[in-house]
Amino acid sequence: MTPSLPGASTDRRTLLRLLGLGTAATIGGATLAGCSKEAGSKGTATQADAIRAVLPTYKPAELLKPDIPGEGPIPDGYLSYPRQLADAITEQPGRGGPPINTMSPWWGPAPPTLGRNSYLAAVNAKLGVEVNPSLQDGVTYADKLNAMLGARDVPDLLCVPNWEVDKVARFSDAVKALFEDLTDHLKGDAAAKYPYLAALPTGAWEYSVWGGRLYAVPFPTDGPFALALFHRKDLLDSAGLSTPTSPEELHEFGRKATDPAKGVWAFGSVFDMVQQFFGCQQHWRKKPDGGLEHKFENPAFLAALEFTAKLFAEGLVHPDTVASKGADEKQLFKSGKILMFQDGLGAWQGMQGERVKELPSFNMQPLPIFGVNGAPAVIWGSEKPVFYTFVKKGLGVERVDELLRVLNWCAAPFGSREFELREYGVEGQHFTRAADGSPVPTELGRKEMGAQYTHIGGRVPVKVKSGDTPDYVADYLGYYQKNIGLMEKDLFAGIKLELPANWSKIIQPTEDKIRDILRGRRPVSDLEQVKKEFFASGGEEGRAFHEKALADNGR
Amino acid sequence: MSGRGAAGASSAPAAADQRPPAGRPPVDRRPRHSLRDRLRRDWPLLAMTAPAAALLLVFHYLPTLGNVIAFQDYNPFVGDDPIEAFLYSEWIGFGNFEALFRDPLFWDAVRNTLTITAFQLVFFFPLPIMLAILLNSLVSGRVRGFVQSVVYLPHFFSWVLVVTFFVQMLGGAGLLAQEMRQAGLQPWDIMTNPDTFIVLVTAEAVWKDIGWGAIVFLAALAAIDQNLYEAAAADGANRWRRLWHITLPGLRPVIVLLLIMRLGDALSVGFEQFILQREAVGREAAEVLDTFVYYQAISTQQWGLGAAAGLFKAAVGLVLILAANHVAHRLGEQGVYSKS
Repeated sequence: MTPSLPGASTDRRTLLRLLGLGTAATIGGATLAGCSKEAGSKGTATQADAIRAVLPTYKPAELLKPDIPGEGPIPDGYLSYPRQLADAITEQPGRGGPPINTMSPWWGPAPPTLGRNSYLAAVNAKLGVEVNPSLQDGVTYADKLNAMLGARDVPDLLCVPNWEVDKVARFSDAVKALFEDLTDHLKGDAAAKYPYLAALPTGAWEYSVWGGRLYAVPFPTDGPFALALFHRKDLLDSAGLSTPTSPEELHEFGRKATDPAKGVWAFGSVFDMVQQFFGCQQHWRKKPDGGLEHKFENPAFLAALEFTAKLFAEGLVHPDTVASKGADEKQLFKSGKILMFQDGLGAWQGMQGERVKELPSFNMQPLPIFGVNGAPAVIWGSEKPVFYTFVKKGLGVERVDELLRVLNWCAAPFGSREFELREYGVEGQHFTRAADGSPVPTELGRKEMGAQYTHIGGRVPVKVKSGDTPDYVADYLGYYQKNIGLMEKDLFAGIKLELPANWSKIIQPTEDKIRDILRGRRPVSDLEQVKKEFFASGGEEGRAFHEKALADNGR
Repeated sequence: MSGRGAAGASSAPAAADQRPPAGRPPVDRRPRHSLRDRLRRDWPLLAMTAPAAALLLVFHYLPTLGNVIAFQDYNPFVGDDPIEAFLYSEWIGFGNFEALFRDPLFWDAVRNTLTITAFQLVFFFPLPIMLAILLNSLVSGRVRGFVQSVVYLPHFFSWVLVVTFFVQMLGGAGLLAQEMRQAGLQPWDIMTNPDTFIVLVTAEAVWKDIGWGAIVFLAALAAIDQNLYEAAAADGANRWRRLWHITLPGLRPVIVLLLIMRLGDALSVGFEQFILQREAVGREAAEVLDTFVYYQAISTQQWGLGAAAGLFKAAVGLVLILAANHVAHRLGEQGVYSKS
């Protein structure tokens, strides 16, 4: 083995050198500081005034009078489906350009792709240009999006949910580098060329501005609340359980409803809704004496945390929710394994319509909002658009024009043939008509449709009665009208915030710690410690940043 | 040494054959001439290697250049194309490394990762060897084929499936828990106990990959000269002595090779498995280096920080491989490569 010795000594020297380097880097932080700088953005906030100058001129394009007119951010409701449909668009939007690749999120089984999907074929025939959608799982959308932005490889039309934008630290740089500046196409009266885009609410357009230029087409929210606490009203009624109206009753309900031997637990995820019932703000609120207070500093947060931790400790939360991030709560809720969970209000109609076919008594309802100890609840929400649709940069004026005409088609209002085709597909294939003329999706419709055109096209939101969910429109709009007064005012409405990197970095570690407390791995009293660490390592920087953004806008 | 078993010996001469002619001193007197000679003689070999070398160059060595972003406040959106983004991003020296090494979360992740590696080295690494020896000793080919297929299968499942499977079986609403409740017992807390998480992830890894890991050992076993067994049996060696003196020495080069490779990977213990079960047991138990990089670098678009963590991983891996290889040489094994 003598020959190996020279090699061995080289190894040792290399090893020592590498070890030395590692140690120097570890302990020599102070020394290194001389020749190194800190990475990461400090954040920016765009002024609200600069935004107003580039918005399209609003011009409503309503084809039908609503039965339940919406107010502010609440959409219009229609209780009957029109017998007569109008043609909203006379000129074919596509000029036979190359296929349009799109990417948008979808929460559900992936529909068949272009070439094997009759719904796509039917709409593309109308458009006069091939739209080739790529649907990605909405839950893990950020993974795909981050890689795509990092590689600068974006499709012709890219749909980005607003909550993903907030997670991407350098999104405004990405917007400028990758997407077309739409200001000249849509600013002021130029938008009249695309009448249904001009009909989108100005409040939604305000959020589509980056660096003082218009970069996206918004998908306005059809209801500004972030979440609702859904419960299985049918199962509560049949078990003789009354609807809880206070935290004590909610807890009592949990104890009565949970029956592990039958595989039934009262709750899935509920923490965000509990915070709202307890009157805790989503992020910041103004202190009476000026300045901002983070929700961790609000005693209501502590109370909500204590309450929810108790639900976990007493085993009232389904073990799948406890055990895995991938727990399919919608499935558990549909099959009655959990009786209450929080979800976006957008989940309501689809789930109700799908499930009622197998179980006619199925009835999911949002739990009526209640306050705690006489204080009103605070509902989280904003008029932020749900999605933004971006156009790839450098496609040329002609092509951008074609893409915007396609988006305009996708935004056609209720009462038009285009709306029906986009929303329900082809009669006889994707939907049949109930006695009152309203469309009822077929199995094929459910399978082939994944909002491929809806999620990219904006559209003015409306709520329409459908055959399989007859009570939905009244229930939905009733819930909003009753509770809209409780909605928290968005302090930063119209101000585009690019959050500092230090702030983005503390979010996950802090969430981890809060979750440790919720799940009983740390005592509730540890919140003090968590708060201290949060504010020391980026929280205060975040507070100063937000306070400055408000001050700069005179709010 | 006796450690040069059949399996190792069969590959060693092949490698050695190519060397002596190339390094023969008389030919080396005029290097330029010898290079042409060697090219003329070896071109078919070079041609066969070229595609693999090209792949390596394009997909491994070229992207390696991207590691420069570890020393930048890298912003993928400056400039007009990805190359300009590299050129125009600000150079910040060791700023990323400094931020990394100062972060207690980073050291938590490193400690967790190393603990899991060490644990799995003891409780996972030997299992495929045992399985291979067990399978090898089965006489019936049909039974062996069946068992092999069954234990290979989970390797092709994604981690989402594996974790879901464990939740459905061992979770609080799973099969075991429901059976225990029916029997009037208090179900065990298997999926959400941070203290036993390391055992759980190892069990999952064993279930998923034990069959796959056994393949290479089965191949090595097949290469052991059967005459040795017959000769030993004739000399009166029983089953255990044959295992100890023939089978295990025969496997030793492969075992050492895989052990060294595993050490080089000491800071990678998987990603999905941990991100999926993070909420169940909390960050303190489930944060490994890869999830740390995901949450603190990728999701906050601090690509430079991520690259710095990657370089750190590579440096540690290199040190461990060199050290382990050196130890292997000392013990008379070939290791990953040999210089002699």
